Amino acid sequence: MDVLERAFAAVLPNGGGKYTPYLMLMPAMVLVGTLVVGLLYIGDSSLRTLDRTTFQFSDYWTLENYTRALSESFTFTIIWRSLLGAFIVTVITLCLAFPYAYTMVRTPSSRLRKFLLIALFLPFFIGQVVRAYGWLILLGNQGIVNDVLGLVGVEPMRLLYNYPAVLFGLVQYMLPFAVLMLAPAMTAIPEEIEAAAGSLGASWIKTMIYVVIPMAKPGLVGAGLVVLTLSLTDFAMPAILGGGSQDFIANAIYDQFFRTSDQGFGAALAIILIAIGSMLVGVIFTVFGAGTLDLGGNNK
Amino acid sequence: MNQPIGQRAVFWTLVIISIVTLSAPTFVVLGASVTSGNIIAFPPEGFSLKWYGKILGEQDLRDAFFRSLQVATICVLVSLPTGTLAGIALSKYRIKGGIAIQTYLLLPFTIPLIGSGIGLMLAFGDAGLLGNLWPVGVATSVINLPFMIWAVSSSAAGLDPDLELAAQSCGAGPIQTFFNVTLPAVTPGVITGSLLMFILSLNEFLVSLLLVDARIVTLPVQIYNSIRSIITPDLAAVSVVFIVVALIAITILDKIVGLEIFLKSK
Repeated sequence: MDVLERAFAAVLPNGGGKYTPYLMLMPAMVLVGTLVVGLLYIGDSSLRTLDRTTFQFSDYWTLENYTRALSESFTFTIIWRSLLGAFIVTVITLCLAFPYAYTMVRTPSSRLRKFLLIALFLPFFIGQVVRAYGWLILLGNQGIVNDVLGLVGVEPMRLLYNYPAVLFGLVQYMLPFAVLMLAPAMTAIPEEIEAAAGSLGASWIKTMIYVVIPMAKPGLVGAGLVVLTLSLTDFAMPAILGGGSQDFIANAIYDQFFRTSDQGFGAALAIILIAIGSMLVGVIFTVFGAGTLDLGGNNK
Repeated sequence: MNQPIGQRAVFWTLVIISIVTLSAPTFVVLGASVTSGNIIAFPPEGFSLKWYGKILGEQDLRDAFFRSLQVATICVLVSLPTGTLAGIALSKYRIKGGIAIQTYLLLPFTIPLIGSGIGLMLAFGDAGLLGNLWPVGVATSVINLPFMIWAVSSSAAGLDPDLELAAQSCGAGPIQTFFNVTLPAVTPGVITGSLLMFILSLNEFLVSLLLVDARIVTLPVQIYNSIRSIITPDLAAVSVVFIVVALIAITILDKIVGLEIFLKSK
């Protein structure tokens, strides 16, 4: 230990002094820096077009990929499908997450609280592919739901590979994220305030709308933002539950890279997706504030 | 608290819908993995563990599982020191340009996963690193790093600066102070964060899909590739591996820090 201390003192006299926090942040900054480098690569690729005769990329920069992306109706179809899907998923997820978080925080029974927490963490820890696989078993043409319907004489229905199936899968995927972001905000609301509203004659619906929801706003904004951006950019659910017919933007980008091998066009789509995502985040931050998405907390 | 009947009815209906939706895939996978039939059907065709026997003999599944374990371990090895230092720094010091640094460190969450994955694929590809497992581990560490930082910084709020001063005035050097005073104070956060990183890395699908080639597929990618062809019960048995790992992680988390920690308001 003494040797370490002496070595440390030799390298950093005064323990780094006022630079200590920056030195401590340095490794994380470098790690995240790889993403910035990655973005530069995407930016560079997006400015080079593919020559279909030689399959070489142009050695000059051009905006052709962007003009092509913005002139094809295909781009707008998938952007619209992703955006609309993300909004629907966010609204449904928040409607489910709010009572879940509320019940979990408010229940006097610690066993119920534990049960609700485990029901939340189990799918969260299982991962997207396995969960989607569960839905395939349940909802497939030869799936369990159709088998059960068959027992009561209902013809098999196509429950998979359509838009609602993708949205349903996304809601299930997002629910744990949303509840876990909402719950701390709920905890911060004193129960007495609700009781006060109630004793002053407010119905429970009014108490929710005028007291609880406004007070839970930072949590709702944080949760909504996470759900919105994660579902907007999701790949696995549209790929597995949409079966190729319900592609979101991420699937289109993947296809450009791995099926069409048009890296430049795929990169341009990726930049467009990042731009849309950042704009959404920016708009929500300005309208609603940053919510609970604060890494350091207010405890400095 | 006595809640009005109407509120209870509405809330419980929604909570039950949530519980069923959250749990259905898990139970279906568990059920499908112990069928004695060759296809997954309802009513089930009887109980058998034969699919578990079958996956033990499948070399590619076993390899994929060990690759995923390796990736998750690398992810923890990378993110534990980096995230812990950053988390402590962010909560302990008033940092000039702190907001800019925080925004920067949140990039892994604000850049869409497909963007991060493709960017890393191009960058790693250019550096000739693709085809190895460790870049996949580093990549899963980068994209989930905010979780680690958040876990540490939220438990560092309980860190008492006076304790560090006391240690130093008793003659402890900065390193001794760090390991004996600062680090123990944030240990719950470090454990929570590392566990989250391990699980998220083990399950990571999209970034894995982009960074692996056919020789080094990880388990989620292997499952994805197989469910696109035909759904057989052996895949359900493999998926149960993930369910078991998840259960273990939840148990550890609950024993060490308590799941209720996630309900605490900041």
